[in-house]
Amino acid sequence: MPVADLKPRIAAYLKLPIEHLQDDAILTDLVAESFILVEMIIELQDTLGIRLTQDDLKSVRTVGDLVSLLARKTGA
Amino acid sequence: MPEKLTENELWVLSFYRTSEINGALFFGRLARAMKPGPIQRDMTKHFSDESLHAWHWTACINKLGTDPLKLDQTYQDKYLEASGIPANLMEVLALTQTFEKRVIGQYARHSRIMGLQPQVLEVFGKIIDDEKWHIEWVGKALKGMEPEYGKDYIDATLKRYAQVDQEVYGAVLKEHQDRVDALLHRQGSQEESAACQWPT
Repeated sequence: MPVADLKPRIAAYLKLPIEHLQDDAILTDLVAESFILVEMIIELQDTLGIRLTQDDLKSVRTVGDLVSLLARKTGA
Repeated sequence: MPEKLTENELWVLSFYRTSEINGALFFGRLARAMKPGPIQRDMTKHFSDESLHAWHWTACINKLGTDPLKLDQTYQDKYLEASGIPANLMEVLALTQTFEKRVIGQYARHSRIMGLQPQVLEVFGKIIDDEKWHIEWVGKALKGMEPEYGKDYIDATLKRYAQVDQEVYGAVLKEHQDRVDALLHRQGSQEESAACQWPT
């Protein structure tokens, strides 16, 4: 999946307008409950055919961090 | 006439209720995201159980003459804060396994406190068998994931969450020590309380 498609995909999962997903936006600030992030992370892995671990997520705080991680894992 | 709940009892039962609601919301979201198969089926049942447990606590508190407190933070929130977001389904299930063991231990020990209202004991009786099944199905699912994730990775994840559990439980106990002490001392003599100490 091209990098440009990752952010719209995240916006769709979070049910947020893409304008809210600035690179420096903190992921946990974008959702009412962290459960929503868990669901999104699981679904993104299924959709993109990748496997993430806790080590991968340790450094992920912002939308930009997540997009970079997904791009790296998918080779986008 | 049912006995009234003390402020501390009401808080603890409301905490259980809120945790069950959050469990239902968590597993409901995950069940929706699961591919068809045994994990999807069992997770949907798990979601259903947690919802029903929340109802049991709500009805129990009502029967005892009051309404549940609105509480914001739950035990699950504290877990996620301490452990970070689980990164894959195996980690979700490992966290669930650890959490469910804590819940069943908490409920079993609370149910042994002397002088509990029959309505409260009845709810523990209804819930504890479901909690045993939760541990069973998650354990089987984790076993089935060994070829995909590796036994070592799964064991290490369970160990990591067990450490998180100890830290979170210790912090919760410390934060609410007054309520715990009051509950124990109201329900029975000191000797009885010592025999049924709060879970650790």
